[in-house]
Amino acid sequence: MTTTPELIATLASHPTPIRRYRPPVQRAVVWLSVSALLIGVIAIEHPLRPDLPTLLHQTPYLLTLCSALATGVLAAIAAFLLSVPDRSRLWGFLPLPPMGLWLSSVGYQCLTHWVAIGPKGITLGQTADCFATLTLVGLPLGLAASLMLHHAARLDVAKVSLLASLAVSGMTAVAMSLFHPIDASVLILTFNVGSTAVLLGLGLFLGTRFRRDR
Amino acid sequence: MTRAREGAGPTRHNERRLRLVDGAGPVAADDRDASAREVDWSILMARSQDGNGAAYERLLTEVTPFLRARCSRRGIGQPDIEDTVQDILLTLHAIRATYDPTRPFGPWLVAIANRRIVDRLRRQSRRNAINAALIPLTSGTVDGTEIAEGAIDRAKLVAELAQLPDAQRQAIQLLKLEEQTLRQASSTTGRSISSLKVLTHRAITRLRRVLIGEENH
Repeated sequence: MTTTPELIATLASHPTPIRRYRPPVQRAVVWLSVSALLIGVIAIEHPLRPDLPTLLHQTPYLLTLCSALATGVLAAIAAFLLSVPDRSRLWGFLPLPPMGLWLSSVGYQCLTHWVAIGPKGITLGQTADCFATLTLVGLPLGLAASLMLHHAARLDVAKVSLLASLAVSGMTAVAMSLFHPIDASVLILTFNVGSTAVLLGLGLFLGTRFRRDR
Repeated sequence: MTRAREGAGPTRHNERRLRLVDGAGPVAADDRDASAREVDWSILMARSQDGNGAAYERLLTEVTPFLRARCSRRGIGQPDIEDTVQDILLTLHAIRATYDPTRPFGPWLVAIANRRIVDRLRRQSRRNAINAALIPLTSGTVDGTEIAEGAIDRAKLVAELAQLPDAQRQAIQLLKLEEQTLRQASSTTGRSISSLKVLTHRAITRLRRVLIGEENH
């Protein structure tokens, strides 16, 4: 077994300069900029929904859009703050107020439009299209968040992962509400936060089993 | 503090920022020492991030007694203290890029230490529970000398065994204390193998609940 002085000597034996992480809020801003850029690139390829100018004058639509955006922004900031050891764990509650507002205004249309029955028979509904856009936006954002927050795996992996997935959900919902005629918030939250929760639960279960078997 | 500052030679900018952690106003000598030590560690960590191996070795060596004391205070068992300290040092090493030299070093270190200590305490309690439940039942005899310190005592175990229903007590007696095979126990009792398994399982579950449940309260 390695003694502590031996471990210290080993750790200090290969001194290489490392690049310090920027402050968490700055890193969150970088991630949010990537999100904005991605949505911008998709907007070039994918036309904005035709009724957008009208919707921008309607309070329910604006409420959903702004609360989703606020949830995404604040969840990203909270995730980056919690990924650093010395910040208060209370930052984890930061996105809860806008998230409550967002959840109170979401619709579930996307969950009910998986198939469409028309003159051509049964075809894929708008949900399938939603799902494609959701993957197109959510996957790169999730990947970027994972890369930027991987160090948190040694600290508070559950909270940081859930906050990051909430941030991805918020930004994906903003993108979807700009491109898609039906509300996909429930689908987005289920896809992002749900899959993260399942993965975390699986990790916890397997970890417990592994430790018990040892 | 001065020794490290002279040795470290931080820039004017860093020096100004690092003094922020010194605190203002009159402070007790101990507080001043602790504060000075923290500034030392901040500077050493900043130099370590810049690739100074000697500063890094000195920092890790200096924080080790502090970490040992913290582990001990938080209830880590003596045999596990060194492992926990090493876990903390490895985590510190892995995420050293997250340290911001303009912020105090103490809370950063303590947060990492607390995380590893909590992990170790969870493992420790899980291990204690398993040991307490299994040692008396798998040791072959109910001999108190084989029971780990702090685990269930023999008299209590014997008393609880006597409280079991006859069928469960017989199953434990034959399979665990006399170490008979399931087939032998089956022919002795006339019960099926699956019935014996169920009886043993129920008996162990009951003993565990009674003995460990009581210990936890």
